[in-house]
This record gives sequence, structure tokens and C-alpha cells, in this order.
Amino acid sequence: MDLESLNWKISAKAGEGVMSSAKLFAKACKRQGLSVFNYYEYPSLIKGGLQSGQVSASLSGSTCQRRHLDLLIIFHEKFIQDHLPEIDEKTLVIFNGNAFDPTKYPELKSKVVAINLTKIARDQGANPLASNIAALGVSACLFGMDLTILGRIVVEEFAKNKETAIKNLQVLQAAFVVATDLIKQNVFQPFGKLISSGVDEQILLTGNEAIGLGALAAGLQFYSAYPMTPATGVLHFLAAAQNDYPIVVKHAEDEIAAINHAIGASFAGVRAMTGSSGGGFALMVEALSFAGVSEIPLVVFEAMRQGPATGLPTWTSQGDLNFVLGAGHGEFLRVVLTPGDVQEHFQLAKLAVELAEKYQLPVLIVSDKYILESNQTMPKMQLVSQNQRASMLNNGQLGDTGLAEGEYLRYKASENGISTRSIPGQTNALQLSNSYEHDEYGFATEDAAVTKKAVDKRAAKIEALKLDLPKPLYLGSKNPEKILISFGSTINVLRDVLLDEAASQIAVIHLPCVYPFPNLELEKLLEGKTAETFVLEGNSTGQLNALIKRETNLPNLRSLLRYDGRPFYSEDLLEFIKTEKISEQYKLI
Amino acid sequence: MNEITLANLMSPVAPTWCPGCGNFSILTALKQALVELKLNMEDVVIVFGIGCSGNTADFIKCYGLHALHGRGVANAIGIKLANHNQKVIMIGGDGDIYGEGFNHLVAACRGNHDLTTLVFNNHRYSLTTGQASPTSAKGTISKSTPQGLIENPIGALSTAISNGAGFVARAYAGKLKQMVDLIKEGILYEGFSLIDVQQPCPSFNKEQDYAWYQENVFDLAADYDPTNQGQALVTLLDQDKLGLGVLYRNDQRLAYHKEVPCLSAQSLIEQFPKEINLSKAIAEFV
Repeated sequence: MDLESLNWKISAKAGEGVMSSAKLFAKACKRQGLSVFNYYEYPSLIKGGLQSGQVSASLSGSTCQRRHLDLLIIFHEKFIQDHLPEIDEKTLVIFNGNAFDPTKYPELKSKVVAINLTKIARDQGANPLASNIAALGVSACLFGMDLTILGRIVVEEFAKNKETAIKNLQVLQAAFVVATDLIKQNVFQPFGKLISSGVDEQILLTGNEAIGLGALAAGLQFYSAYPMTPATGVLHFLAAAQNDYPIVVKHAEDEIAAINHAIGASFAGVRAMTGSSGGGFALMVEALSFAGVSEIPLVVFEAMRQGPATGLPTWTSQGDLNFVLGAGHGEFLRVVLTPGDVQEHFQLAKLAVELAEKYQLPVLIVSDKYILESNQTMPKMQLVSQNQRASMLNNGQLGDTGLAEGEYLRYKASENGISTRSIPGQTNALQLSNSYEHDEYGFATEDAAVTKKAVDKRAAKIEALKLDLPKPLYLGSKNPEKILISFGSTINVLRDVLLDEAASQIAVIHLPCVYPFPNLELEKLLEGKTAETFVLEGNSTGQLNALIKRETNLPNLRSLLRYDGRPFYSEDLLEFIKTEKISEQYKLI
Repeated sequence: MNEITLANLMSPVAPTWCPGCGNFSILTALKQALVELKLNMEDVVIVFGIGCSGNTADFIKCYGLHALHGRGVANAIGIKLANHNQKVIMIGGDGDIYGEGFNHLVAACRGNHDLTTLVFNNHRYSLTTGQASPTSAKGTISKSTPQGLIENPIGALSTAISNGAGFVARAYAGKLKQMVDLIKEGILYEGFSLIDVQQPCPSFNKEQDYAWYQENVFDLAADYDPTNQGQALVTLLDQDKLGLGVLYRNDQRLAYHKEVPCLSAQSLIEQFPKEINLSKAIAEFV
């Protein structure tokens, strides 16, 4: 039987190779031509604690994780408790061990087969940790996957150490043989043969990596940061890119230094970005205001996790929306982009770098742990891109400007608020980029008229800026009974919801940019619709809903909220659409 | 190219410092040093902190960044990494650089970033009307410490030396020629140079006036060896008598940007990627 989709999960303690196992499995599904979503849950520690990696793959498009599992592999018996809501009689559970006693778990409906994966690894002379590779061999057999594809991926993964690569390949093959024998003995049955489209034109990457890639494509040359989950992935990606691209990545002593390094680099003319999670961004806020008043282009990446304070460091949230909208003392224009899927992370990171330079202001990319640390497939982008300087004197060329001394004014008044920016190294174009309010040259001022003009100049950029921003995305029924509005990563779940027949009467609206708020566009999308409309958010107070209320003339909308560190699940939302009932982990207000 | 002259450096804005403030002579020394170095106007960037010293931003024409209180050193590092052909100078006070931004100073020393940091050290927060600063003497009575400052003064220069700063000097606003020479040497030094400039504040530091300085500063002896790190640290243990000159100099250590592979041939700004090919960057995602 051809299989067009699968839902697979591996569960072990932190440090036992869950992440790499799931990543390799996800990649194998991608290489067979499927769309893949690869989701991780893990605690904020290095050894011990339950950690899981999940792969949902399908030919028609897997955009998010689904709760119900086809195959679950567990390394520790007691963890079965944690997975009971995800498994039923259709699920097969593989336990890494010699025997499993199901009578201890009366609620357990699934068949559990014990296979000593660690022994398989040991028998091949491999590190016992290669039990995670053995898990892949068994999985490949059960899903009828192409073992040569998986084998090639394993060899690529361990390319740095040939001996390890060969050992792991042997483990993979041995585990496949063990599973084949168990099928012959009727211990379990394969799920079928996973379809292979024969076309592998997608790439598989995390939201973090897509942001790094998009920024790189836009000519980003400077990134400074201090490690903080879940933003660290961008730091790692761009740090590695230093080998091949003209970019300097600085691991700063703290987030305050990180943003100020980026401001300095941008002032000197290179495209610069910093990033952190909420706590680190809190430290950056004074400097965000500095970038605003001095009109120094800056991209700031804010990776949300469940707070407040240290909160749940490795779990998702959309609780920082109000914070990023209001961060910074005084008033200054900013852009807040909220990409949804991995592809949009790539696109909007590229746009963020371009907008920051063109409009000389801070552009925030706000996302969350859920998509930032999940792998998702996207079509391979155009690999070669051209970059042009914007709003810069002489297109940013150093040296002679042809100007006479005293002619150039950094903050010269203009109709659209944008004034040409000079950089050090250009002749006769001196300027003072100033954290104080300033005149057209940049000298500090306390003059009332000059102050008002300066404030108005910066604010005037909004009109032109709005034309360059991504618009709300409307999907689903043209005459819906229900409309679900969300920002950021939630669209991944809503796309999955729309695949279900039960969702034929609903529509969803995704907001890839929440500031400047697309008020006219949203009002137009909802014009004449009588549908009951809900705003879905990963926070407890309905921050986006409040923003919609502030920025539009729309009637009051209801909020469907989740704020326990977990993402929305399409199963829950479908249940809500069908019955208006929702699990107690959600809040409807 | 536009060579630096005193006329070119002249700002239309007149200084707003108090009569007798040490800042006047420090600014004179800085301008003189820039002229004597025969640099071009477009090849120097000055980052200014917040305080009386930071207000220098308005009193000199140059490529300038008037930063936030305490954070200028971090901006300066970013500027240097973006365009290491620039001479990057940081100007801030003792409150700015030794107080609010001390963490950034230590980081700049550890990295030996090629910046010249001038600390206008008047032992007070003067722009906010005279509170005790990190360099105020224990017991200092000020508006924020009416019962006397409990803390010891900060060992900023010894911290800089023990954390890798390649060039550490002390100057005094009352000795112009020496200031000019130290600033020039600091700018020419390829690595992190910290020049602590002792200065009177006639408005808010009555204890440390010109007469006090005449009694408490001395030139380092002719046989003082600035390459001797141990001797430099011992000299700095005496916080009462202020030795002037180059306290420490290390010519063995590379500046940070010299160790960044992609900056070996060209500055970062000169490598703006007009065209970029993502093939290598996506290799691990296929």
C-alpha cells in the first residue's frame, strides 16, 4: 500500500540524540519528495529530561505537527505516560529495550514492541548513542522507505569522521534487517510503502536558519548577538556563514553591546542586524530608541518564548507583541514583521534588511520558538540575488562625493521623510548621527521649531513605507461561517486546518506585518462578512486583538488563546470549528 | 581627500563648558593631535558618550556618532569592524566609560579592538550637577552621597591592562604638549588604547582643582619601561599619586580586526555583496 503521509516521533532524554535522529528522518522524507514539518520539544537542560522530535510528512503538504502518531519510538519506559494523548490502537510504539510490560499502563491502547536498539548499535561496534540511528533503520523498514536515501543522509551527517559514518551506516542497515525479520515473524506489520515523488526540489530548514539565509541574501554583513534560546539559531547559522560570505559575526558581551555594535556597524555603512529573545531584547530597548532618533538602519530579530522573565526558555509563545510594539522610550517609527512559515521567514528577513536601509529605521522581525526551531520544507529559492544600496549618498561608495564642503546635510528635510545618508570615508559629507534631537546637520538642538520639524520628518516616512509592507493573507472560504485571524507562526497550523473537509466553511487571515498595521487591508478583507471572527494568539490577554481594536474600525472580535508554551494543534482547532468546544489548555474570551 | 586642519575641525557651535573646565584644553589637544597626524577629515570617526565630555560632539566637525550613555565603546567596535580603515576615537567621561559602560570597556580591552578611548576624568558626574563618580575618592561628599561615598574608586586602568588593552596612558588637562603626544601615540597604536585624562571640574569638584593636580601628578620616570606589565600594575596600585605618560604598551598583540579572516584583504564595507550566491549557505538544507 502506498503511503502518502506519516507522523513519527522519537522520545528520549536530552543528550540521547533525539534531535539529530529526527532531523535525519525529516531529511529522508524531504528527499523522497514530501513536504515535511519537524517539531521538537525539549527542556532547558543538557542531560536528562524528556526530549522529543517529531516528523510529519506528506505528499499534499505537511505544514505543522499533528498530535496523533503513527509510530512512536521511546527510549525510556516511563515516558510512555507523557505520550498517551498522542497514541491509540492505530499507533505502533517501539520501546528501546528488551521487554515492555503494558499492564503497568491501563490507559495504553497501542501495541508496544520492544527492540533493543542500543544492542543493535553495540553489535556493530558503534557508540551506544547510535541507537538513535538504529531507530531510523527500524522506521525506514516500517514505512517502506528508500534505505539508500537514508544511508546517504547518515553518511553526509557524519562526513567529518569516516569511521563513525561507516559504523552508523552498518547500524542503520542492521536495524532495518532486525525490523524486516520481526515483520516476517508477524510481530508487527509495516504501515505501507512511503511514496516517493522522485522530485526533490525543496530545502529543509528552521525558521532561524531561514532568517539567517534571507538576511544573507539581502547583503547582511554584520550580526552581533548574545546567545539566548530560541534566537541562537540565527547566531549559529550566520557565524558559520563567515567562512563563505563577507559577513562579520560578533558574539558580544551582552545584548546591550550586541545592539550597539550593530548600530555602529550600520552607521559605518554595512547592513547590520542583532537578535535575541524577549529578555535579551529588553536590554536592547534603549538602543532601539537610539537607532530610531538617529535614523540608523537596524534590523532586530526578536524570538519569543513563554515568559515573563526567564519563563519557559524552550517553549513557544506570542506574548511579546505589545512589548515590541511599544519598546523604546520616546516616539519613533518602526516596522514589525511577523513571518509565518519558513519560506516567509526567508522572504521577510530579506525585506527587513532592505527596508531598514531604505527608510533608515529599526525593523523588527518577530517570531517564536515554535517555527524558529522547527524544520520545515520550502521551495528552493533563487540562489543568486542582486543587492543595491538605498537612500545612501553615492550609493554607499567611499571616497570622492563631488560635493563641496558644507553642502551636505544628513537630516535634510524632505517630503517623504527620507534624507540621504553619508558614511565615514566619503569626502565632504561630514555628519553627526545623534541620540539627541538634532538639526539637519546633526548638531544637538533644544529649539522648539527644529524639534517639531525633526519629529515630523521621521514620522513622515510611514506613507511611503506602507506601500512596501507585506499584506494580510486571506485563505479559505469566500463566504465563511467562521474567520480565524492570526499573526506569525500560527498560520502553519491554520493551513493544516484548511486541508480538512470540516474547514470548508472557514477562512483564515494571516498578518505578516503588524506595524504599521494594515488597517485598511484588514477592514476590506472583512467587509460584508457576517462570519464569527476569532483572533488566535499564543498569549493570555489577546494582544493582537487589542491591536486590531486600536487600529481599525472593526467590531469587537473574540480571542482564542493558548499560553502554556505549546503551539496550537490543528486537531484542537478542528474540534473547535465543529463543536465550538475547546480543550481546557486554551482560553476563549 | 580633505586634509584635517584646525579650520576644518572648527564647529559653528561654541562650547558650553564652564569657565576653567579641563575639557577646553583636552579638545585643543585632540584637534592638535589630529592635525599633526596629517589625517583626512573623512578617515576619522569620533564616538561621543553622554556627559560634559560627550558634548564635545557639537564642538568639533568630524564624522561623529553621539551615542547613548555608557554604550559608545560598543558602537565604536561596530564601526571599526565595518570599516577598519577608519581611525575610531571614543570620547566619554569617567561616569560613562568607567561606570555605565564598564562592561564594554573590559570587552574592548579583551578584544584589543583598534580604538582610541579618551576618558575625560573629572571624578564627578558633572552634567547631572556633581554626583560622585566611579573615580571619586572614598568619603566624597556629593548630592548623591551626602554621608560620604562608601565605595573605593575603580581600578579602571589596571583592569584595562590585566584584560588585554594594548596601550594604556594617563594624561592631565593641565599639560597640553604631553596630551597631544599621548593622543597621537594612542591613535597610531594598532589595538585598544585607553587614555585617562585627568581634569579639574571647577563647578562640582572643588577638592581636585588645578593646585591639587600640580601636587598629585608626576611624569613617569625616564627609565620607566611601559612594556613591563607587572611594573605598570604596581604603579597603578598607588591611587593617590598619578603618574603621567604611557603606563603600558604591548606591541606583540594583534588588534581584533587583524584576526578576523574576512577582513584580511579589504574592509567589510568595501565587500558589499552586490551579487550573492546562496549555494554554499543552503548546502546543509538540501
